[in-house]
Amino acid sequence: MTAPTAATGGTPGTALPTSPAARRWPAAVALPIALAAAIVLTLVLALPADAEVARVVLWELRVPRLLLALLGGAAVGVAGLLMQAALRNPLAVPELLGVSTGGALAAAVVVVWALPVPAAAQPVVALAGALTGGALCLAAAGTGRGPGAVLLIGAAMSTALQAVLLAVMAAADRLQYDTLFRYLVGSLTGITWDHARLTLPWLLLCAPLVVAVLPALGVLRLGDEAAAALGLPVGRARVAVLGLAAVLVAVVIGPCGPIAWIGFVAPHVARHVRPHADARALLPWAAAFGALFTTVADLAARHVFAPAETPLGAWTAAVGILSGLILLRRRGAS
Amino acid sequence: MRWWWAVSALVLAVTAEIAVGRGVDWPQLDPLEQRILVELRLPRLVTALLAGAGLGAAGLLLQAVLRNPLAAPELAGVNPGAVLGVLGGIQLGLVPADSAAGALVAALLGGAAGGSLMWLLARDGSPAQVAAYGLLGSAALAGLTTLLLAYQPSRFGNAMRWLVGSVDGRVWAHVRVAWPWLVTALLLAWLCSAVLGVLAAGDGHAAALGLSPRPVRALGLALAVALAAGAVALAGALTFVGLVVPHVARALCGADLRRALPAAALLGATAVVGADAVAQALTVLVQAGSAGQRLGVPAGAVTALLGAVALVVVARRSPHVEVS
Repeated sequence: MTAPTAATGGTPGTALPTSPAARRWPAAVALPIALAAAIVLTLVLALPADAEVARVVLWELRVPRLLLALLGGAAVGVAGLLMQAALRNPLAVPELLGVSTGGALAAAVVVVWALPVPAAAQPVVALAGALTGGALCLAAAGTGRGPGAVLLIGAAMSTALQAVLLAVMAAADRLQYDTLFRYLVGSLTGITWDHARLTLPWLLLCAPLVVAVLPALGVLRLGDEAAAALGLPVGRARVAVLGLAAVLVAVVIGPCGPIAWIGFVAPHVARHVRPHADARALLPWAAAFGALFTTVADLAARHVFAPAETPLGAWTAAVGILSGLILLRRRGAS
Repeated sequence: MRWWWAVSALVLAVTAEIAVGRGVDWPQLDPLEQRILVELRLPRLVTALLAGAGLGAAGLLLQAVLRNPLAAPELAGVNPGAVLGVLGGIQLGLVPADSAAGALVAALLGGAAGGSLMWLLARDGSPAQVAAYGLLGSAALAGLTTLLLAYQPSRFGNAMRWLVGSVDGRVWAHVRVAWPWLVTALLLAWLCSAVLGVLAAGDGHAAALGLSPRPVRALGLALAVALAAGAVALAGALTFVGLVVPHVARALCGADLRRALPAAALLGATAVVGADAVAQALTVLVQAGSAGQRLGVPAGAVTALLGAVALVVVARRSPHVEVS
């Protein structure tokens, strides 16, 4: 039966493992190796032969790109974990916070109306739009609602934002469309230190906050009534956690656009490795898997159809949709 | 008495739809303006009526047959599937981009595929689970659509506007293909509404009355897919019409499907025609600005915004929405 598990525990109804440790150790060894391999491959694959050019490419392009893939992926994975824990719903995805559509909408409005904003400031505009979209959704949800209502309101708000976004995009011409492409399908193309400098301080700022909300997540896991009985202001705690998740996603959307589905897949894989663990134990796993998936997807984006570069979001979406279907299938079967 | 309200709302919406918009100065019409009226405004109006009626009725059928107040063509995978079917068909070269009949067939196939996918995944779940799966599956299908669009934007032209749902630029040729299909499906649904209404009371009740639930449910779902996909092929994925309108219809006319179905069709038509009238008025406003010349407000943006407001109000009022 899946319904009671989802309603009370927040863990997905995957098959019970024979021994959690038996599953944890191979992953604890394999994950760092895979991550290291992905990092090395990202840095060295197809470097130019000339040493001087290679140095510039490595330092000015590959390192910031790798940093954003690692930290951005980790941030989105953690945001997904925060959302799923705060709403006690394994299907809660950061896309339902209105953040990605908000960012795309702000970028689209600026480009289509040809507002006098320099191109370098576009990530800042998208970041501001993403934060506004998240704030709109959370304000509409308010503090007094249960997790189901919050999810429904978030879905309604992001659908409405999406409709407005498409209406604005319909007016874009070919050139503007190419500019906006990144905010429809996430991509790490052309990331430089400027983008990294925009994102990294925010992420550093968020890291202690994430650690600070973990105890509240552990209490929220018991259910709203029990959490309230333990003295937790449930509504406010939930909005605070969701707001933190929104900031984490928005910071990545600013330079990269929406890296779809990592926020859905990473926490689930983490939970597969460590079933029955609480958010505190899952956090490093979710972050590591988010970083790994994003880096691998970026490798695929750069090299599978080389010399053409496919957008990163296409790969993460393909993987995410597949694993989402498998997950649903398994939940249905159990 | 309540029917009078519904009918007068429809008349009001139709009047507004005919009256607003550019190119026609009302009291005296010269021949050009008459042509605009007959060959652009009227088919647009009929498109909005048909699409709205189809979506409203489809939503009501889904909610009744699945006994799920959150069922809707856009949440059951039908609308996203239909959109993906049409765009994928055009992309693969199977459907000519300007063929209304091809779009209808592609929308039907896609809608049926999307709907059955969601149904297979979630058939054993509680109503709220079905809705949650539908939400996720629809997001996945919409993501695929975005990717499809992102790859070859030039080939899709006005696809964006159709993706939100728009009755802009529909002419009699489109209406001629779609109306027999939609009207037949609506009539069939109305004729079957008594049987489908028994199913809405529960499988056990239906079986006790000598009705085997499975084929009847299949019939209801097929009719809902036919209506929703037909509407999507005609006017695009107008969001939230199929979710919100059935609730209003039931609140006005009671849960009896024989009365609620025509009411949902009527209210759906009213909603889309009204939304398009508002959208046209907004378009005039937007285009008055310097940079908004190419910007037309599609009707779907209006329905999405109004529907979202309605949903937020409802969800805020009821403390126990459980989506697990």
